Amino acid sequence: MDKTHATYEPRIVAFLCRWCSYAGADLAGVSRLTYPANIVPIRVNCSGRVDADMVLSALEKGADGVLIGGCHPGDCHYVTGNYKTRRRIVLIKQALSEVGIDPRRVHLEWISASEGIKFQSTMTSYTELIRELGPSPVRATKAPVHG
Amino acid sequence: MAKAKIGIYWAAACGGCDCALLEVNEQILDVVAAADILLWPCAADPKYSDLRGYKNGEIDIVLFNGAIRTQENRELAQLIRTKTKYLVAFGSCAQSGGVIGLANQSSRDEIFSTVFGDQANWPQLSSNQDGYDLHLPEFLPRLTNLAEVVEVDYVVPGCPPPKQIVSALFTALVAGDLPATGTVFASSKNLCEECSREREQLKITQILRPHAHESDPDKCLLDQGFMCMGPATRGGCLAVCPAANMPCTGCAGPTANIRDQGAAMLNTVASLIGTGEEGEDQLAAEDAILAQFDDIVGTFYRFGAATSIFKERYHERNATTR
Ligand code: SF4
Ligand code: SF4
Ligand code: FES
Repeated sequence: MDKTHATYEPRIVAFLCRWCSYAGADLAGVSRLTYPANIVPIRVNCSGRVDADMVLSALEKGADGVLIGGCHPGDCHYVTGNYKTRRRIVLIKQALSEVGIDPRRVHLEWISASEGIKFQSTMTSYTELIRELGPSPVRATKAPVHG
Repeated sequence: MAKAKIGIYWAAACGGCDCALLEVNEQILDVVAAADILLWPCAADPKYSDLRGYKNGEIDIVLFNGAIRTQENRELAQLIRTKTKYLVAFGSCAQSGGVIGLANQSSRDEIFSTVFGDQANWPQLSSNQDGYDLHLPEFLPRLTNLAEVVEVDYVVPGCPPPKQIVSALFTALVAGDLPATGTVFASSKNLCEECSREREQLKITQILRPHAHESDPDKCLLDQGFMCMGPATRGGCLAVCPAANMPCTGCAGPTANIRDQGAAMLNTVASLIGTGEEGEDQLAAEDAILAQFDDIVGTFYRFGAATSIFKERYHERNATTR
């Protein structure tokens, strides 16, 4: 492991739907609710835009956790984007589990534009969870065999 | 014009790729007429010392099949790279690690136990037999494709590469007319484009496996619930597997505009799985379909695991937590 837990700061990529979770982040902001700086928010047009490659790339590039925030069931602006993503996340989690990665490193949450407090509490508790899990094992991938 | 100098090499390979070279039948005679084969361990008898004796860049082109599993594979890849002008990753193993990339999910000791049984039978790196010191190449901690070791100029996909693709390569080679480096000798479009089955992008309501269920020979296998990798896989093989009622397992790798072939399949399949209706009341039924997968990595990364995030086994304590 390249980092000890003492100096470890989780790096979390959060893909947030602009219509709900990202607006929820804005609301948290204007309400002056603070949340951990470990979260790197990326705005997407719908949680349905978050494909498996984006999630896996984030992990491959060193994210300790990937959080996807989408509209509540029934509220997706593109009607079914959030359902598609939900199914994708189920499969991704199973694949991670198969190779020995804690599937909680990928997490999907429904957060609406009016849920500033839920946004704050989700970001806080997820950061704590990822802190507990420690650095992603993908980061410690065996140095290139052919160095 | 001087005769071209070519080489063929196998690293961690099954031999299928060498056989595939002969599938072109008498065209191989054109190759032999147009080129001297300086290296071909499967069929000829030159020694590694001969290879070392060539000047740098003296060989025009080497077709390299197999993955990098041992120190010998790695050393030879590096040596061949210095001796050849153009290096071709020939077949899925050289291209992306191939099906044996899935062995990275097991440790060296697990693999050795399975293959050799009792530890007393495991191969020793060094031993002495009748006064001779014998050395075996080290088994690397992780299997990789060719491009992770050395620069690759061309890719010929397939497990093994199909006849018409090998033939196209030989034609280019005999004519001394190789395309721009970076070329992948296959279609840039997906396999569905050349498959004769009719695809309607139907909802997948159950996951079927080819050994357990019969398929309708005219309809798209994915539509029927068989996990066919056609949508994410490069064409060029003329869809021979779907034609024989076998879902595509993805040996040709991703199409030109896809980075992660398995991820692209996860997207496709997640979009298609469902009851026919979308809604909160359908989620439990969807989960029941999703739970029918028992080996996602082995299904969608069958040939690409070694070049994906699934290139090794990780050991998180709660990996089975949901
Ligand atoms: S690509 Fe297929 S045929 Fe070629 S060496 Fe690998 S397993 Fe064998
Ligand atoms: S059977 Fe496979 S290759 Fe043929 S159309 Fe369906 S998904 Fe594509
Ligand atoms: S628009 Fe928010 S999840 Fe689709």
